[in-house]
Amino acid sequence: MSATTNAPVATAGTTPGARTRPGLVAPLRWEIRKLRAQLRAKAVLIGALVLPVVVVVVIHGQSRPPKDTLFGRFATVNGFALALLILGFAAQWVLPLLTAVVAGDIFAGEDQHGTWKTVLTRSTSRARLFWAKTLTAAGFAAIVLAVLAASTIASSVLIVGHEPLTGLSGQTIPAAEALRLVAVSWATMLPPMLGFTCLAILLSVWSRNPAVGIAGPVVIGMVMQLVGALGGVEAVRPFLLSTPFEAWHGLLADPRFTGPLLDGLLTSAVWCALSLTAAFTLLRRRDITGG
Amino acid sequence: MRRTILVVLAALAVVVALGAAVVAANGDQSTVTRPRLERSLTTTFSNLYVHKAALQGRTLAPASLHAQAMCDKAGAENKDVGPGGDWNCLMSWTDPEVPMPPEGYGKFELNVHSNDCYTAGGPSKLTGFLTMTDTRGKVVSNPVFEFDGCFDPDGDNTPTGVVFPSLLAIASTTITPDADGRAGLQVTCGSGDQGCAGSIAVAAGDTELGTVHFDLAEESTGTLPLPAALPAGAKETTFSVTSTTGAGPTSPVTLPVQR
Repeated sequence: MSATTNAPVATAGTTPGARTRPGLVAPLRWEIRKLRAQLRAKAVLIGALVLPVVVVVVIHGQSRPPKDTLFGRFATVNGFALALLILGFAAQWVLPLLTAVVAGDIFAGEDQHGTWKTVLTRSTSRARLFWAKTLTAAGFAAIVLAVLAASTIASSVLIVGHEPLTGLSGQTIPAAEALRLVAVSWATMLPPMLGFTCLAILLSVWSRNPAVGIAGPVVIGMVMQLVGALGGVEAVRPFLLSTPFEAWHGLLADPRFTGPLLDGLLTSAVWCALSLTAAFTLLRRRDITGG
Repeated sequence: MRRTILVVLAALAVVVALGAAVVAANGDQSTVTRPRLERSLTTTFSNLYVHKAALQGRTLAPASLHAQAMCDKAGAENKDVGPGGDWNCLMSWTDPEVPMPPEGYGKFELNVHSNDCYTAGGPSKLTGFLTMTDTRGKVVSNPVFEFDGCFDPDGDNTPTGVVFPSLLAIASTTITPDADGRAGLQVTCGSGDQGCAGSIAVAAGDTELGTVHFDLAEESTGTLPLPAALPAGAKETTFSVTSTTGAGPTSPVTLPVQR
């Protein structure tokens, strides 16, 4: 009995020991610092902030609405519809690209610069380094999504207007509720986007080439879009990482349905778990002594 | 490089094999089905129709329309399941100011996507044109001319039981007899439940030429031979349709004779 009560005290008391073997915080801090120094990451964030405004102004200026896309019918006259139109477009390849720019480079970049030996001679384990890099990439994905969503919604509503929105069951959604639903719809992009982050990490570790890590997820995402849009092979749709990107439709229907959102969460989690497991195994078994 | 190519090929093979296994195991388990489409289309249309009525200064309730739809994909033989641009839906609703045509419905054409969303376009004589004028005299787009909707892939899939008759239409615009006075009449049978059957009484001027029977599958066309040769001086022919299955034109159709 006394042994079990003593055990936690013993570990809590080993703060000097913890300092010699740093936890996750130190490598995480280094990864974030490296990311903040990266021009590419800054450019992506600035692009996510500025480009939606340009797109909103251009679409608002069109005389004919882009009717072939969901919510395109009202996009030139309704800000909420325009924010959802841009969401549908972004989900096709923009979101996978935005996350892959960092996640696809974060491991392969060390190969490119030949710095694996240097980072591993810091007293941190491969596992800790792996999780630090993964968390950094995931955090960047969340931030870039938040910036893109905020910029799109704010510019759409301010430039085009905030009339009540016509939903996907023909119902009229009051402006306040529409704003909330548009924001939640953008937020539902996070799970599949993190799925693509994990996929980019796998490609980054496996290929040791930033170009593959960045372009790979975008190409895979577009292939999945194509397969998902085919008739006849719809049985594979639930397994595709592109399907959760369309799960927000249920939020704008009446009655609302959330089944696809839950399925999408599961799909994204499985993709992420498999990709990270494979990436971790590859990194663990890798011989880095060569540089 | 060879290692990379091998890994890519192996990954592709695994993906294709898994995909094929899933497809083989599930068959055509599409979430796009006739009952879901029928329910979603009527709900979406009712909401938008009420919106349109409000733009015209009228107050309607979606439930008061009692919209009903019967959907069909790509003709009678095909299963009514799966995405595609070949869905047709016959829909009826109650609006005292816009009565339904004699057959009792309007035909909507749908393009349904695999993501459970669709675009529907209705008949202009019932739903109006692309733009309309609202009560303030402003030109606005007509909400029911063409509209989008999405349905729940896990939604109610029990058949709605809504059935509408096929509509027989006379497709020929003139009657062109050959040297012996023999001629044919082109007819079409539209989407509907049982196809079209019945008889057509043919008259050339004051001369009764007899009746011709027809029995067509839904979404098909046919050429019916006239029961007797046209008299030499006949200027026009009149066709009176009596339907035993499906619906047909309620008043006689008169076509000019072209020699």
